[in-house]
Amino acid sequence: MDDEMEKETILDNKEAEAEAALQKKHLSMLDRLSKRQQSRSTTSTEPSTDSTSSFLSRFSQLKSSIESHLSDSQSLSSDPSQLKPHFDKISESISDLEKLVAQSSYFLPSYDVRSSLKTVSDLKRSLDCLSSELIPKKKFSFKNKAKASKKDQGSVLPESKPVRDSVQPSYVARDSPGFRNKTGEVLVGEFKESEIGEFTISDLDSCEVRIIGCIRALFIHRLKNCRVYVGPVTGSILIEEAEGCVFAIASHQIRIHGARRSDFYLRVRSRPIVEDCNGVRFAPYCLSYRGIEEDLRGADLDAETGNWANVDDFRWLRAVQSPNWSILPENERVGIVDISNSESMKEEI
Amino acid sequence: MGLLSIIRKIKKKEKEMRILMVGLDNSGKTTIVLKINGEDTSVISPTLGFNIKTIAYQKYTLNIWDVGGQKTIRSYWRNYFEQTDGLVWVVDSSDLRRLDDCKMELDNLLKEERLSGASLLILANKQDIKGALAPEEIAKNSGQQAATALLLRCDCASMTLLFAAAMTATVYSTLHANSVAVMGSAATLHHYSALLTT
Repeated sequence: MDDEMEKETILDNKEAEAEAALQKKHLSMLDRLSKRQQSRSTTSTEPSTDSTSSFLSRFSQLKSSIESHLSDSQSLSSDPSQLKPHFDKISESISDLEKLVAQSSYFLPSYDVRSSLKTVSDLKRSLDCLSSELIPKKKFSFKNKAKASKKDQGSVLPESKPVRDSVQPSYVARDSPGFRNKTGEVLVGEFKESEIGEFTISDLDSCEVRIIGCIRALFIHRLKNCRVYVGPVTGSILIEEAEGCVFAIASHQIRIHGARRSDFYLRVRSRPIVEDCNGVRFAPYCLSYRGIEEDLRGADLDAETGNWANVDDFRWLRAVQSPNWSILPENERVGIVDISNSESMKEEI
Repeated sequence: MGLLSIIRKIKKKEKEMRILMVGLDNSGKTTIVLKINGEDTSVISPTLGFNIKTIAYQKYTLNIWDVGGQKTIRSYWRNYFEQTDGLVWVVDSSDLRRLDDCKMELDNLLKEERLSGASLLILANKQDIKGALAPEEIAKNSGQQAATALLLRCDCASMTLLFAAAMTATVYSTLHANSVAVMGSAATLHHYSALLTT
């Protein structure tokens, strides 16, 4: 009984409080609702992108501008140093076009999606044709690369955009193992006996990285025109911001964010994922060095799972193939890359 | 206030808890959940969407929602906030570069009204990787006054116990928004269980 009484008095006290709280809540709800209404009405007055005809007109406009740029290329062919930035610009506008299609795909009729994607891939193909015709392709080789990239720098630099005005992290990284802030070098790491923990590869331009042996976790950040060959990683690999790179990596988990025009040769136990990527291509792992079989076995990565081709694109959650990634055609793949002779390379450096 | 206490009483009877696991991608959320549940963790793909696991611990039923952490899908986290009793924020202690991102996302999360009243556990994962930050440092970086530094290794057998103890702690202690435990490895378990019984 006493208990009951006590409860009731408490309830009485609380009722008043509850009333006030309810009132407040109600007001804030009204406020929220009106705000929502406002935001809705403002978005609807904006030139709506939700219409097929406006999309189509914008699409054809962009398309014709890209085509005219493409036809300009022939006249530029006398000056190869201008050609590369020119092609890069075209490639960028093609990917913008692709993005536009992707953004609009939820309201477009499926026929329009298909036809616009086809246009995009046609544009890409003609760009590839033109660039292979006008810029002679370099043969794949190690030794030339390091030297060539040094020579190339003159032409590479003008196209390089100023480093993204990123906020410097307030946390000063301790001396964790890694390769950072290098240009035009061959960087070799061998971790044969001691297994290494986390390893960082960041802010490299025109470098070649070779890592022999196992590491636990690999972080890759801001690479440009690099080749990265890494032995098995027993944990996960996280790649952020890479452009014009080639990676040969093996791991249990691989996440790729913000990569452009890069090729990935993968061995991976789970499904690799891409997010905010464009023009990335995938092929099976192709790395070799003395003792790699043992290392792969030790990392549970000796079996080919075929997952290198099962890429999930977080920016393309649809049944149709994502336009952001593709499978690297067999005739364009590099053969087996052997980095056994890294010791001698080290001496050279 | 009145309604909230009634709901809490009902909950107490039901002894069913909804636990939300969030954190940046690559922090190991899915691995932790599967490990607790005694499942195979050798093949785990990055989570597209979410997983739900129900785990019985003593007289409690824990419904664990493991939500993917990729940037694209972080905006969907808020769809899972409703009626969350415990929030587990998982940190990759070896990912030094993204610690700021990590703090920012956590701060955003804690502003959420629907999460007030839920306990928060910050889990400093990947302690076994050489070069990883210690749980104390993670706590400092998170800007949270850690109630206690608790340790937990992913491969540690007592993980289930620790995890469940930390999450059900809300029932024992008066519920504070943002009561924080930072977990790392098992050394200070006794200290924590002592804390639970007081």
